[in-house]
Amino acid sequence: MKIELNVNGKDYSIEIEEHLRLIDLLRDKLNLTGTKEGCGEGECGACTVIMDGRIVNSCLVMAFQAHKSKIITIEGVEDEDIKNAFIEEGAVQCGFCTPGMILAAKSLLDKNENPSEQDIREAISGNLCRCTGYNKIVSAIKKAAEIKRGGRNV
Amino acid sequence: MYRRIKKVLGGDILKKRGKGIGVTFYGTGYGNGFPDVSRAYARLLEDGKVEILVGATEVGQGAKTVMVQIASETLNIPIEDVILVNEDTSKAPDAGTAAASRQTYNSGNAVKIACENLKDNILQEAKKILNVNSKIGLVCEKGSVYVKTYPSKKVSFKEIANINNNLKGEGVFIAHTTQMDENGQGAPYWPYTFAACAVEVEVDTETGEVTILRAKLVLDVGKAVNPTLVEGQIDGGFAMGVGYALMEDVGLKDGKMLNSSFEKYIIPTSLDIPNIEKVLIEYPEDTAPYGAKGIGEPVLLPVAPAILNAIYDAIGVRFYEIPVTCEKILLQLNKG
Repeated sequence: MKIELNVNGKDYSIEIEEHLRLIDLLRDKLNLTGTKEGCGEGECGACTVIMDGRIVNSCLVMAFQAHKSKIITIEGVEDEDIKNAFIEEGAVQCGFCTPGMILAAKSLLDKNENPSEQDIREAISGNLCRCTGYNKIVSAIKKAAEIKRGGRNV
Repeated sequence: MYRRIKKVLGGDILKKRGKGIGVTFYGTGYGNGFPDVSRAYARLLEDGKVEILVGATEVGQGAKTVMVQIASETLNIPIEDVILVNEDTSKAPDAGTAAASRQTYNSGNAVKIACENLKDNILQEAKKILNVNSKIGLVCEKGSVYVKTYPSKKVSFKEIANINNNLKGEGVFIAHTTQMDENGQGAPYWPYTFAACAVEVEVDTETGEVTILRAKLVLDVGKAVNPTLVEGQIDGGFAMGVGYALMEDVGLKDGKMLNSSFEKYIIPTSLDIPNIEKVLIEYPEDTAPYGAKGIGEPVLLPVAPAILNAIYDAIGVRFYEIPVTCEKILLQLNKG
């Protein structure tokens, strides 16, 4: 079957098999390998992408369900504030959860520029991380929010 | 040890609070007679930069950063002038595994020795170029060598490399590791890293759920080569300790794993971990590169004992088996 979708601002019209998952479409057909597959069963959040403004586990979405949708993957995140904050705060260790974490953070900050710590912890609670213990990720998202609100020069 | 029951919001007595500590010491490296050797090479490149070859694997803990920092410090050159080759086994010498909390101490020592040997060779060459009788009066700084009392008499690493393109240094570090006797007595490791953890928990006596309210972790690091990375290790180790103490169970039965997916093998999320007050104690270890001891595993070890002690303080039940899951707590509380 043929589907049409927009990924990171680019329109695609692709022939797919019905059993193909969104993550396979992204990684294997579009070569967007920044999206990671962790558990493959919707528990870990490593494969998080933004689909029509909502975060989804791309391992649990069938490719055909993405027909006519707008997808943002880590490659399409143009927000340098979040990425820089992650680097500055030391929020990346092995890096496997990082793409998903950044998309979860982006999804939060797109809706709420002044999140509380609890908001941040809830926003990334679907993304498992084995290395960082989350605290530096939480402070990175806090910092990104501050920068967005104009606190860069403070 | 004392027991206390605190009323929480709305006078709800079903939640009980307790405090606990855990204190540990842990040897750096393989220890107990298992051979523990790290090797590194340092080489002056044509452009005056320095290549460090060391088989220290980066798994997110920061080996790549720390090895570069140690080389930069030893040769007194900017970080940008250190070119690290660490995961190419056709080039980098064996530096053992990224395990046993050993890379900063063991491979860091090997990198430091390699850089000291390279520096010695660079100074030897500079001595000839600058026409002085000894290396003793030479200073190595920001990629140049100059005469301490006559700073304009100076030659850059690049110029030195153009005169001699074969300047190298090798570093081999053999750690202390001796086997204990049949009674478990002896001196298996050197050095030891000390850690202490304190937590306050709240136990919900209706559901058995344990919440970590506050945490503090104090770590004798020797020297924190990179404090941000050490803090990251503490955060990560603490979260692993929480999972270890309260959640994680592979559930081995007849040689099979019952909990082989994240649906059943539960690890902490961002909502299960509090902010941790971290204290780094810097008491440099003589045998370590700039005093830095291994900290990877030591950050995890005191966490589970601290949590189990806090649970005992809260509900008066002493657990001898981990993980202390909600079910186990309820079972004990309902024994009456």
